[in-house]
Amino acid sequence: MSETTVEGTLPGRSFTRPRSVRRRLLGVVAVIAGTALFAHAWRDTGASFTSLFSGFHNTVNLLGRSVPPDGSVLKDSIRASILTFDTALLGTAGALVLSLLLVPLAARNITPHRFAYEAARLVIGVTRAIPDFVFALIFLVAVGLGAFSVVLAIAAHSVGVIGKLYAEAVEDMDMGPVDALRAAGAGRLQVFLHAVLPGIAATFTGLALYRLDTNVRSVLYLGAIGGGGLGFLLYNSLQLFQYQQATTELAVLLVLLLVVERVSLMIRQRIV
Amino acid sequence: MLHGVDLDVWPGELTVVLGANGSGKSTLLRCAVRLLDPDAGSVVLCGAELVGARGRELREARRQAAMVFQQVLLVRRRSAVENVAYGALGELPLHRSLSSRLFPAELAERAHASLARVGLADMAWKRADTLSGGQAQRVAIARALCQRAQLVLADEPVASLDPRAAEEVLVLLGEIARVEGLATLVVLHQPELAFRYADRVLGIVSGQIVFDAAPASLDEQRVAALYQGAVT
Repeated sequence: MSETTVEGTLPGRSFTRPRSVRRRLLGVVAVIAGTALFAHAWRDTGASFTSLFSGFHNTVNLLGRSVPPDGSVLKDSIRASILTFDTALLGTAGALVLSLLLVPLAARNITPHRFAYEAARLVIGVTRAIPDFVFALIFLVAVGLGAFSVVLAIAAHSVGVIGKLYAEAVEDMDMGPVDALRAAGAGRLQVFLHAVLPGIAATFTGLALYRLDTNVRSVLYLGAIGGGGLGFLLYNSLQLFQYQQATTELAVLLVLLLVVERVSLMIRQRIV
Repeated sequence: MLHGVDLDVWPGELTVVLGANGSGKSTLLRCAVRLLDPDAGSVVLCGAELVGARGRELREARRQAAMVFQQVLLVRRRSAVENVAYGALGELPLHRSLSSRLFPAELAERAHASLARVGLADMAWKRADTLSGGQAQRVAIARALCQRAQLVLADEPVASLDPRAAEEVLVLLGEIARVEGLATLVVLHQPELAFRYADRVLGIVSGQIVFDAAPASLDEQRVAALYQGAVT
């Protein structure tokens, strides 16, 4: 049996790499800055444990006054929940159509021209940056109170969100079929319709359904500022201290959100 | 990089291009239909200059050559027969090409006939992503047939196939060349297959054609040297 001697420096006994003094100092500064940031946020929002505990008592009191639910508003709540869904559906559909028009320009790998790419990305960037709440305030003034202004707000903001996700999906797609059709002499629109769209149809549908799900929630709070629907009813009931009515509306809201989420999840699982 | 490649391929002839990785074989084919833009020089395909061509002019020129790729580039979520018909998209007016339901009946017949020609008539309605590698490559060849091109360019069409499927595909390409009278240029990595199926073999080193001969007049050493870059 032979004996092997290994000479040299013993390996270190730590799993972490030795750090320079500069890196250590940077770490200390980062911890101090982070703590200061959170301390500022706590002070700025007026957060306090006292309010948390006193608020808990108020919440228990509120819950006591919220039961039993008031069944007389059930019909109106269901009707309002349908309006909420319709608003989200129309807004999402409008955004889908506009996004599909933007995607051929906004995806770097299929755009016909750099200028078209920059212009489409600008539209996407701006609409995504402006929250749907701000769009709703604008459209409530321009179009008037009601669900249609929320449809427009949802559509305008969702163009940015969906357009960006769709363009990125196209940029990540397998370009093989695109090359094959281009090589066969197909035009840009033909390539988009027959190679790009089928290639990412599942991703597109999944993202659209996910966006619909998100938009139903957005319509709820946009309804409270004048857009109608279930959000508007709920806001009014709480303002008028009609907590038993609010309970019924919340129950309908919960059912609506669960149904939309489950159905959208089922469809996405089937197609993706 | 390609240097001064001037190549004539003839109807009814199966020409095989051999060369080491990076020698310019795929670049040659991709430049021929301008999927790659050459830095300089010109690309003349079936009498049409491709460099500088745009829009309709470029699409018309591309229709003269049908490409069969190394990776089978079918639209996965579409049927075999739809994929075959896509070969003729370039000849359709826009309003007839918006959906495969709007394709003319004549094109549907041609697509089915092309599938039958490659022995896959019964696979017409199968989705492309359910086909085996060999079947998918035959669908790609049917797409090339449906395109009614003068030239078929196949870039390592058997690279991802098992030996039996590879032989079937090469037999098919040979038949297409001889029976349909198409000029067929095939890039291969297997000299033994080139010797068996080609009418003519080209050797390419560093973007230059270093030999152009009938298989019978080539010796194995000369081909082996091709892969060591020693052919002059």
